[in-house]
Amino acid sequence: MTNQPNPQNRPAELLDMIQKIDFALVETILYLDAYPDNRQALVFYHKLLTERTRLAEQYEKNVGPLTATANRSTASWNWTKAPWPWELAANC
Amino acid sequence: MWIYERKLQYPVRIRRSNPRLASVIISQLGGPDGELGASMRYLNQRYSMPNRNIAGILTDVGTEELAHLEIVGAILHQLTANLSEEEIAKSFFAAYFTDHTVGVYPQGADGTPFNARAFAVKGDVFADLNEDLAAEQKARVTYDNLLRLIDDPDVADPIRFLREREVVHYQRFGDALRIAQDNADCKNFYAINPAFDPRRKG
Repeated sequence: MTNQPNPQNRPAELLDMIQKIDFALVETILYLDAYPDNRQALVFYHKLLTERTRLAEQYEKNVGPLTATANRSTASWNWTKAPWPWELAANC
Repeated sequence: MWIYERKLQYPVRIRRSNPRLASVIISQLGGPDGELGASMRYLNQRYSMPNRNIAGILTDVGTEELAHLEIVGAILHQLTANLSEEEIAKSFFAAYFTDHTVGVYPQGADGTPFNARAFAVKGDVFADLNEDLAAEQKARVTYDNLLRLIDDPDVADPIRFLREREVVHYQRFGDALRIAQDNADCKNFYAINPAFDPRRKG
């Protein structure tokens, strides 16, 4: 992967990177459902998954939870604080 | 079960309200070939699908269709978020507004509320997979038709993404049909009900 996450990544850039890598994962998973014995696809899947895990950790640490069980704060409930994905503000 | 991820599969950034476009794009939410019908069709077809790989395709495509339902919902929401009463009054959207305000309600472009017939579960491997292949093509045609009506690049962008996914899903359902045929009893030349008949014999 060429896009390395770093502390300078703005939340929108980080989200964009996650959306792109998740798209590649969706494509690879659908392909593997039909061709489960394809080694090349399986290797690619693991490469994507490693990067995805890293990006998601960075996003959840610096921006907010992607899933309700990823709320890291013991002081406050962050799941409902940011704009929801269908709002224009969440996409800019 | 499902877990919600707090992001769209593809971004929706619509800066200009447009009630005319909302009136037609709503068909891909609750119309005959929309994303609601697609997601529930595949997720409900899984139970009678004897092949685990094909059940996997139905699960994963069905789940992706839920993400597409959300993208269409986001498009409709952003197209109608800042409408003035004047804009509504002079548009075709006035009829929808009367019943649903700017809520997102599943109906076709002609105003017909969502019809569960779109789910189309026959409980037969070959009937269901052929249904799915046709459904992906019909949804692709609907997106092509919408692209002819859309004059705002902010709206065309996510619609093009959704159109491309119909093309890819058609390919994967083509794989599924081939897997089903390869695994059918070679004496079952006419591909008749392999999901139910073996059980009846036992």
